[in-house]
Amino acid sequence: MGPLIDLLPLSYTESVVVVGAAVLGVAAGVLGALAVLPRRSLVGDALAHSALPGVAIAFLVTGARDPASLLVGAAIAGLIGAFMMVGIERTSRIRPDAAIGVVLSSFFSLGIVLLTYIGTTGNAQQAGLETYLFGQAAGLLERDVNVMAVIAALSIACVVLALRVIKTTLFDRSFAASVGVPVRVVELATTALLVAAIVIGLRAVGAILMVAMLIVPTVTARQLTHRLGPLLALAGVIGASVGATGALLSSRAEIPTGPVIVLVGTAVAVAAVLLAPGRGVVWRWAHRRRERRSALSSGVLIDLETALHAGPPPTVDELVLASARPRGDVRRGLRALDRAGLIERDDDRLRLSESGAAAAHAALDERRLWSAWLEHGWRLDLGDAREPDPRDLRRTLGDELTDRLLGFDAEAAPS
Amino acid sequence: MSDAMIIVLTAGLTATALALLGPFLVLRRVALMGDAVSHAVLPGIVAAFLVFQTRAPLVVILGAAAFALICVLAIEALRGTGLVASDAAIGLVFPALFALGVLGIHRYAANIHLDLDSTIYGEIAFAPFRTLDLGGVEVVRSVLIMGVVAAVNLGLITLLWKELKVTSFDPDFARSIRFSPTVVARLLLIAVAVTAVTAFESVGAILVVALLIVPAAAAYLMTDRLVAMVAIAVAIGWVSSVVGYAGAVEVDASIAGAMGLTAAVIFGIALLASPRHGLIARAVRRARTRRAVERALAEERGAQGAGA
Repeated sequence: MGPLIDLLPLSYTESVVVVGAAVLGVAAGVLGALAVLPRRSLVGDALAHSALPGVAIAFLVTGARDPASLLVGAAIAGLIGAFMMVGIERTSRIRPDAAIGVVLSSFFSLGIVLLTYIGTTGNAQQAGLETYLFGQAAGLLERDVNVMAVIAALSIACVVLALRVIKTTLFDRSFAASVGVPVRVVELATTALLVAAIVIGLRAVGAILMVAMLIVPTVTARQLTHRLGPLLALAGVIGASVGATGALLSSRAEIPTGPVIVLVGTAVAVAAVLLAPGRGVVWRWAHRRRERRSALSSGVLIDLETALHAGPPPTVDELVLASARPRGDVRRGLRALDRAGLIERDDDRLRLSESGAAAAHAALDERRLWSAWLEHGWRLDLGDAREPDPRDLRRTLGDELTDRLLGFDAEAAPS
Repeated sequence: MSDAMIIVLTAGLTATALALLGPFLVLRRVALMGDAVSHAVLPGIVAAFLVFQTRAPLVVILGAAAFALICVLAIEALRGTGLVASDAAIGLVFPALFALGVLGIHRYAANIHLDLDSTIYGEIAFAPFRTLDLGGVEVVRSVLIMGVVAAVNLGLITLLWKELKVTSFDPDFARSIRFSPTVVARLLLIAVAVTAVTAFESVGAILVVALLIVPAAAAYLMTDRLVAMVAIAVAIGWVSSVVGYAGAVEVDASIAGAMGLTAAVIFGIALLASPRHGLIARAVRRARTRRAVERALAEERGAQGAGA
């Protein structure tokens, strides 16, 4: 990562933090998908806590605060915790979230008991062991960044090489097992990668940042795509950009890096949930509003056409009475029809314009086709099991089937 | 009352308050709500401290409770969009709130002594020393508070029993018979937030997280009936309190840690030895089925042999 760090137009420390956050973002983004999709999002949180007894035992064994052995202790405890989680979930009726919670609280309780025990041994080096796990991104070293880069490269390589296997295991474990995928091996390998990334990340940037970095990219990417391959790629890119943006912002504003990255990430994820095209909350709301309006205006159009059939052109009040809709709805529908140039006003009497008459007929045809489909649809031999789109039957059924449907309807109609 | 009795009583009442709610969280797949709340209260504590310049427990608890409520309601809102699974919603909300708190400390309180351990993340060993004077009678504060919270929770789940039950197991059916799952979920989560915040102050965060999840998960392994599940969870909570305290005194270790560890051991026992869902019972059942099938196959082969 040396050349990349030198390349950035920033001071050395700043570039290390920015590159480090970006690399961490890639690794956490790609691996996070493997935790978020099977509903084990909080595995990062649990592993952060379950590393504590590992640190305590490593200290008890070596008797000193040697960073390397503490890291190994944390990693081993994390692995054991992760395998226990998967084990509890696989062998019993306990679901992932409760399994994670049980492992988290058991390991952390054990860690606290061990720490108080170490406290009574009077070894002066023990001070601050419990804060060992809660790092500070601004204190990232180039060495940490290199380790993260190796893990990121490794995880991307594994995921790319084994994409199909991972995909089948993620979405349908029993099917994967039945077609001969070594499900256990895949799960062990992905869990081990996840643990490695989390333990390194914990030391470098702290538990809470790690939790967010595992979840944010996948939640965001999930709003933008339905396919696993693009999702993984997007998650990596989003993780990197969130990490780099947060690191840059925090170094400009001189505030702690971790929290800023978390807040940037959360903002991105919430924005995706709100605005994602075809899926987001705001998008859905606008879509529903459009649909409701178009249904209302075509309803009012048909009411007006019926009223014109029955007698002289109605006033707005007469139309309200005839259509049995709330006055506000009728007015709103009429306004929309006015804008589209489908009606003409003759003093206070309403008439259809030429294009309005055509539109009314089209809407009536549509309605007749729909009731024909409901009544006689079962008599058609459809090529597949898909239901046609109720808003556009002719297009989804095809002309031939539509004409047969209308034929059935004409047969059944009393002459 | 002796100190030991006060500590066990505090822990037991806390365990009761939490175990009354825990089973519903486990059934709704939001077991980690307690953990989320334990992190999310940080900005509330900081804000209360900044606004009122005091570390009086009541003010701090109110600030913490406000952010606990923000946390659970935000999680519920995110989950309610149907776009984010409940575990991911938890993991999105609490890191953000915690990050806000850290920034607040960094910006405004870096040079003020705001020791989180002593303000909200309480230590159960100090329970006997914190007393209240109630009309001339000296009462231990944590016992009084946790007793009231446990009673309120008991009242809440008795009142809302069928609503909680139906919305936990089948939210769509609940909606169809006009029980709003959203309203019930919000009430439950508000109770969780308030209970957790008051319990943090009495027994410390990790014990709250442990007592909310572990007894409920163990009870879930032991029974298929909701009433029994809640009752067993409460019982496990009390056993953990008593045994954990005895163990902590024996080896001179952290009381909260020992209680959490006891609950974990009980979960392990339930996982292995539960009469219906335990690993041993399952293995025995599987072996018995295998033997029965083998015997039937052997008999059939024998019959064919005799026929030929």
